[in-house]
Amino acid sequence: MLLIYCPHCLEYREEEEFSYGGEAHISRPVDPEKLTDEEWGDYLFFRKNPKGIHHEMWFHSSGCRRYFNVTRDTLTYEILETYEVGCTPKITGISS
Amino acid sequence: MSIADPTTSARRSPLTHWHKNNRAIFTMIGSSSVVESYEPKDGSIDEQRQAKELAICDLSTLPRTGFKGQGASMWLGEQGLHLPSSSNSAVIQSSGSLIAKLSDQEALILSDIFALSNDVGNLVNRSTSDHRELTQQTYILPRGDSHCWFTVTGSKASEMFSKICAVDLRTHKFLLGSVAQTSLARVSSVIIRHDFGDTPCFYVLSDISSAEFLWDCLLDAMYEYNGVNIGINALQSLIDKH
Amino acid sequence: MTKRLPHPYGRLIDRTKKIQFSFEGKIVDGLAGDTVATALLANNEWLLSRSFKYHRPRGVLTLAGQDANTMIQLPSNPNALADKELITEGLEAKGQNYSGTLEKDRGSILGLFSRFLPVGFYYKAFFRPRGIWEKWAAVIRKKAGLGVIDQNISPSYYDKQYKFFDVVVVGGGPAGMQAALDSAVDGCEVLLIDENPILGGSLNYSRFDVEGCQGQLIRQELISAIEAKNNISVMTDAVCNGWFADNWLPVVAGNRLFKVRAAQTILCTGSLEQPALFHNNDLPGVIMGSAAQRMIHLYGVYPGSAAVILTGNNDGYGVALDLHDAGIAIKAIVDLRDKPIYDAIAEKAIDLGLTVKTGYAVYAAHHKRTRSVKSVDIRKIIRPGVCEEIGDIIDCDVVCMSVGYAPAYQLACQAGAQLSYNDTSAIFTLKHCPSNLQLAGSVNSLWDLDEVRSEASRAARIVTKSLGFISETEGEIISSAKPSPNHPWPIFSHPKGKEFVDFDEDLTISDIINATSDGYEHIQLVKRYSTCGMGPSQGRHSALAAARIVAWATNRSVAETGVTTARPPFSAEKLGLSAGRSFYPKRLTNMHTRHIDAGAEMLQAGAWFRPAFYHQGKLDNQSCINNEVDNIRNNVGLVDVSTLGGIDLRGPDVAEFLERFYTFRFKKQPVGRARYALLTNEAGIVIDDGVACRLSEFHYYITATTGGADRVYQSMLKWNSQWRLDLDISNVTSAYCGINIAGPNARHVLTKLQSDIDFSSDAFPYMGVRTGVISNIPARVIRVGFVGEIGYEIHVPQLVGEALWDLVIEAGHEFGIQPFGIEAQRILRLEKGHIIIGQDTDAMSNPNEIQMGWAVSRDKPFFVGGRTISELERKPPLRKLVGFLIDDLNSPMPQESHLVLDGTKMTGRVTSCNYSPTLKKIIGLAYVPLEKAESGSTIVIKSSEDYSVEATVTELPFYDPKSLRQEL
Repeated sequence: MLLIYCPHCLEYREEEEFSYGGEAHISRPVDPEKLTDEEWGDYLFFRKNPKGIHHEMWFHSSGCRRYFNVTRDTLTYEILETYEVGCTPKITGISS
Repeated sequence: MSIADPTTSARRSPLTHWHKNNRAIFTMIGSSSVVESYEPKDGSIDEQRQAKELAICDLSTLPRTGFKGQGASMWLGEQGLHLPSSSNSAVIQSSGSLIAKLSDQEALILSDIFALSNDVGNLVNRSTSDHRELTQQTYILPRGDSHCWFTVTGSKASEMFSKICAVDLRTHKFLLGSVAQTSLARVSSVIIRHDFGDTPCFYVLSDISSAEFLWDCLLDAMYEYNGVNIGINALQSLIDKH
Repeated sequence: MTKRLPHPYGRLIDRTKKIQFSFEGKIVDGLAGDTVATALLANNEWLLSRSFKYHRPRGVLTLAGQDANTMIQLPSNPNALADKELITEGLEAKGQNYSGTLEKDRGSILGLFSRFLPVGFYYKAFFRPRGIWEKWAAVIRKKAGLGVIDQNISPSYYDKQYKFFDVVVVGGGPAGMQAALDSAVDGCEVLLIDENPILGGSLNYSRFDVEGCQGQLIRQELISAIEAKNNISVMTDAVCNGWFADNWLPVVAGNRLFKVRAAQTILCTGSLEQPALFHNNDLPGVIMGSAAQRMIHLYGVYPGSAAVILTGNNDGYGVALDLHDAGIAIKAIVDLRDKPIYDAIAEKAIDLGLTVKTGYAVYAAHHKRTRSVKSVDIRKIIRPGVCEEIGDIIDCDVVCMSVGYAPAYQLACQAGAQLSYNDTSAIFTLKHCPSNLQLAGSVNSLWDLDEVRSEASRAARIVTKSLGFISETEGEIISSAKPSPNHPWPIFSHPKGKEFVDFDEDLTISDIINATSDGYEHIQLVKRYSTCGMGPSQGRHSALAAARIVAWATNRSVAETGVTTARPPFSAEKLGLSAGRSFYPKRLTNMHTRHIDAGAEMLQAGAWFRPAFYHQGKLDNQSCINNEVDNIRNNVGLVDVSTLGGIDLRGPDVAEFLERFYTFRFKKQPVGRARYALLTNEAGIVIDDGVACRLSEFHYYITATTGGADRVYQSMLKWNSQWRLDLDISNVTSAYCGINIAGPNARHVLTKLQSDIDFSSDAFPYMGVRTGVISNIPARVIRVGFVGEIGYEIHVPQLVGEALWDLVIEAGHEFGIQPFGIEAQRILRLEKGHIIIGQDTDAMSNPNEIQMGWAVSRDKPFFVGGRTISELERKPPLRKLVGFLIDDLNSPMPQESHLVLDGTKMTGRVTSCNYSPTLKKIIGLAYVPLEKAESGSTIVIKSSEDYSVEATVTELPFYDPKSLRQEL
């Protein structure tokens, strides 16, 4: 049971207040029609799913009802930072 | 049928029928029909004493509203209201109403329990008549209908909450004017610490469609501490003394 | 007659309160504070249960509630631990896992045939042919089953509660008490948890000095100090059953599961004494040294009258002194060590002249008729694990084993700590704990009291410093100056086997070795193949020995072999704790009571409760539904549509947002008009639909499906967190109640209401939207046609929903207005050929397949599903959703998900099917292959195992194809 810091509420809250929103920083292709099927398929269906540092979106569903980003180590579950959507993470790279 | 019978007024709490089945006596607070007290089933229940220990009261018909948007704080300020400086906190207005800041772009305004303040009505009227919501990015939210409004009062309230809420609501941690947007028994809720006199009190605003479910959950959780449902008279008497 | 040791022995019992209960039908006398096991022991009854596989007699092993030997049956509670369960007056307890009686178990004959139950038996015997396991499972499960659930018992009340602390200390022994005390600096809230009835842990029963009084003195000192601190909360009889991310600790106490959140945790979980392995080491009467000490000191019970101590350390001498002091004859101290280094306690035992046999092992135990131990065969050790051919027989009635400890590593490992083993000292150590977790005491491989307390103080300094309460440094790591209490090889195999590694699963040394020779060398595979460590005690007493044997058999070190993962829960947890008091919110509309009063049969849709139909006297359900349909087609009815999602979108960019989000165009939609809104995801799949009402230039009110509202709202927020368009998105589903008034007389009813809205056909056309007031109630009114008649949806603030319902009923009274439910609505919309997203669509449905191509705009630059839809449109669709008719009313009605067949090939499925009271035919929707989608095609629907029905594909809608009625 993670304890997640919501950058909007500025508080730590129980995991059960949040829902997972998938990988963060997936920028939508500017002109999707120009992509090949393969490129479009990669965009739609393929995710990094790394072992280690992962940037992901979370939704504070029973709190402020806003999205934010989380940098989490998928190996240890440790949340290294949370930040607003549109901002860049401070922590990047592959851990352990 | 007394004049305060809730079924003669259009705005009815989702718990109206529950109250009637539990021998509620209704009264008008401003233009709202509210439970004044309950006729005791056996022996007499001292609702005022209960309010100090552990009790729940339904205020769902009392005035409240909300505003949201980038211009909301500024617009509310222009209306002469005093907003808390930080999110998730609440301040009492000189009129008696309470403003809770839910985010830098969202506020919730609640009437006092005597409905003496006209803040809510005034704000609703101004926002819809002058269409400020569009130019100033201020949008009214129908908080009077989307959320029910309960108070949980008494010295054992925090302990009771810990059975159904993951936020630490103990009075030395969740101070006066604190606001938590969280889930109570898995129902999305806003909880505001707003004491009456020296009695700890928590306003609970939750999804109105689950009001009856949450009411039952709260009563069930309160049972262990002998908590009961009370009317608004007992709440008002907590303030009278001061 | 029960005989007890005098006071101060028996710290947990109250000699003034006698309690009678029964075990196996026999009346047993005990004292308040006794467990079932200790009360029986006081009556010299050792036999508690039968083992899982061979039904061997079993008795107390640890007396700490840590082993499966003591599992008994209570009326309301199978698999209760006899050494944990307190006796109560009249309690009816029984043994478990036997046929016949506990004393004479017919199943114990299995022991003679143990060669037919080899390791990996289940895998080998039931692997082939397929399905054979199902046949045998019932027989084997009964034979090997544990307790019985009494299905007549009324359930107890279980619930949950959160608790919040700065520091939580798990384990209330010397380390835990010291750690809690030193953590309780000003402002720091501390919780100390212990599973026993009183704090103290080993201080209550273990011997720390020659006189045997130091433990109690230190305990008293610590307890007084803890009681003086008002910022330490203590929970006894409470088990911390796991460690979850960010110090979320499930603590079980009675019928309540406490969800404790700690900023910092200190684990002082102690260590578990481990058994020695020799022939018949599972006999009742063969116990841990610490179990004997617990019997004496905690319960005042005599472990026996003549004891043999098997030891590999100096602690065994402490056990010997305790037994000797209590008046029990010490027949021999059998010390595995060839040249022991004695401490003061051991020297005292030697000074007393107790018989000590160094370099000896207990090679085998023998039992008497009553099945508990009667003598041991002790032999000189030649080399590790191997003894001389001939030994000495020593008579005794209790054997105490003190050969070493394994840390109670479970919680620490769940937190991510790694267990390593030092092959020289034979000691386990835990490393790499997360930064919010500290260890102290014997879980950290310290046993000397002074060292333990220093380490605990150090842990307290670390956590209080990290929380910002103190600034001083924690000091040096304590490393023990004392010799290891663990003997590296207390394992002696025997030609006749029965040297049990795992008491739960009846596994012996050869079973483990055979598992490795069957090719399962990895410790995790050995566990699964042999079931070692999979029983109720979860390897607490078998993991160490199993690791040692696997290491030996595979020629590796124990450090390389490792131990298996110890997952939560740490101890068995009642299902009530997980199941009890769960929260499933119910959502009701403001009109709920009116539905109930009108005789509604309520149906749950997600969390919402909606009327399925309204009972009409004694009429059967289907007739009620059909009558409701007829009333709409010929008259007027009303339905509660409050559960539909409602989302307010406001701001300058609102039309732009909708164009990107939904498939249609919205920018040129006039104010006062509603438009159908179809939602697809990026894969082009239809996920929701609704109506987009333009209330003003910058204000849209969008409806969504009942089940989809939250998802649509969340998806809007997610997309706009990227697009950053200037608008506000508010989910107002709960804020509005809605009624749909439909039928040829709908307009007549509305004109009866006091309103500033002109409901006439010219002023308020089909798909028009108006705002106004109805009897002073602010309302949003939408002219819709879901059911195919004149229809108005009136949306009003939630709290006036019931008042609106009453107004409409009153206004409609003279027209005979009747409420209708979702069953009638489903038929009505099916007649009209309208689909329901989620019922008539699935995870693969794109707009063209469901004949919704008209709702997709192809001339806008972008929308969420656009790229994929245009891709799909370049290829012929694989299937199509079509209407079908069955004329023969006598044919069985196909159900949702019945297959559309082409010969024996499955080519499609039915999504909706119902009898149409209007058309007097069976109608439905089905996915069919393209070649069958033409109107007039015949499709075959398999409607039961041996019955298929023919249906004719038909143009949609079935009813009023030109939509003359709804647009009147």
